[in-house]
Amino acid sequence: MNKLKAEQNLQAQIDGLSHDIKPERDLWAGIEHAIEHNSQQHVANEIKPKRVNIAPFAWAASIVVAVLFTWNINSNKDMQIAQVSAVEVLQQQYSQEKNSMLVSFGEPDLSQLPADIQKQFNELQSARTSLEAALADDPNNKDLLNLLKWTQKQELNLLEQLFSPKWQTI
Amino acid sequence: MTLSAQNTVINAQDIFAKKQEQEWIINAKAGDRQAFNHLYQENIGKVYALCFRMLSSRDQAEDVAQEVFVQVWLKLENFRGDAKFSTWLHAVATNTALTHMRKQKNWLQKVFSIEEQPQAEPAGNEIQDLSDLDKLILRLPEKARVVFVLFAVEGYRHEEIATMLNMAVGSSKSHYHRARNLLKDWLEAKESLNDE
Repeated sequence: MNKLKAEQNLQAQIDGLSHDIKPERDLWAGIEHAIEHNSQQHVANEIKPKRVNIAPFAWAASIVVAVLFTWNINSNKDMQIAQVSAVEVLQQQYSQEKNSMLVSFGEPDLSQLPADIQKQFNELQSARTSLEAALADDPNNKDLLNLLKWTQKQELNLLEQLFSPKWQTI
Repeated sequence: MTLSAQNTVINAQDIFAKKQEQEWIINAKAGDRQAFNHLYQENIGKVYALCFRMLSSRDQAEDVAQEVFVQVWLKLENFRGDAKFSTWLHAVATNTALTHMRKQKNWLQKVFSIEEQPQAEPAGNEIQDLSDLDKLILRLPEKARVVFVLFAVEGYRHEEIATMLNMAVGSSKSHYHRARNLLKDWLEAKESLNDE
């Protein structure tokens, strides 16, 4: 009997619960402030000038650096001589390609690039240098060689994107 | 006034309120903050009640209620009017409160899934002006409290609650029964004290 009474009592109290509880302070000021802040951010994003899309290059550099940090360098001395030459071949090819590209673009001054692009270049170059250092310890590692090749390609692509002449439409 | 005349007046008020709400929504979507303020004034009580009962803390409930309205402002474009605005707002509020609770959980609770014991009675300023049942709901263990509030107060089904809380339907039912039993015991104990 008591159980039934308790059950009824609880149900009556649940049915009588208010669906409205007012907060002790007015929350509107905080909400309006947050909305204002969001609107300003939205406007700022909209009026930002469109630039060369450098995000993929940043990703590329980050991936390379991340791979290098987690790499378990396991040197194999016997194969070193043959593989060092593979690295050298890649370096030579890269230098030649980069030089001929710069000549064809009128030898632009790379130190005059905008700061953010310069930063991406530096990151890619630093990734390339780290890869070359890792390859010195583990020269027969195909994955590292592929990464080096890929990083070099990203640098060349960035150069091409920045300096290749574009047709203007009238 | 006759009963039918009274009903006509009530219907007219409902229709007017609905039209008014639709107008506020349209204007708020267009960036009118005054219109959004009207929506806030109309709904803050319900949103805050849900947050307070789920989080059992005035400070956290205030923060989350604010977050709910900021989310609503940002997502208002997505509201197409297929469902009632109050239903949509309710879903945003529930999700925001649950997300907040997940973020608040410490690593120990996450790793060992520690089930909390009933909580101590909240401080006086937390519970003043609350009904007896509300005061007891705040003392329920967290999962039992959330399930109880969502099922008994907010009207969600156990299947929906299980999905929201990432638990089995049976677990939702079990937490609900635990909450009911605790509340019944506490109400009985309170009545006995009053009788003495």
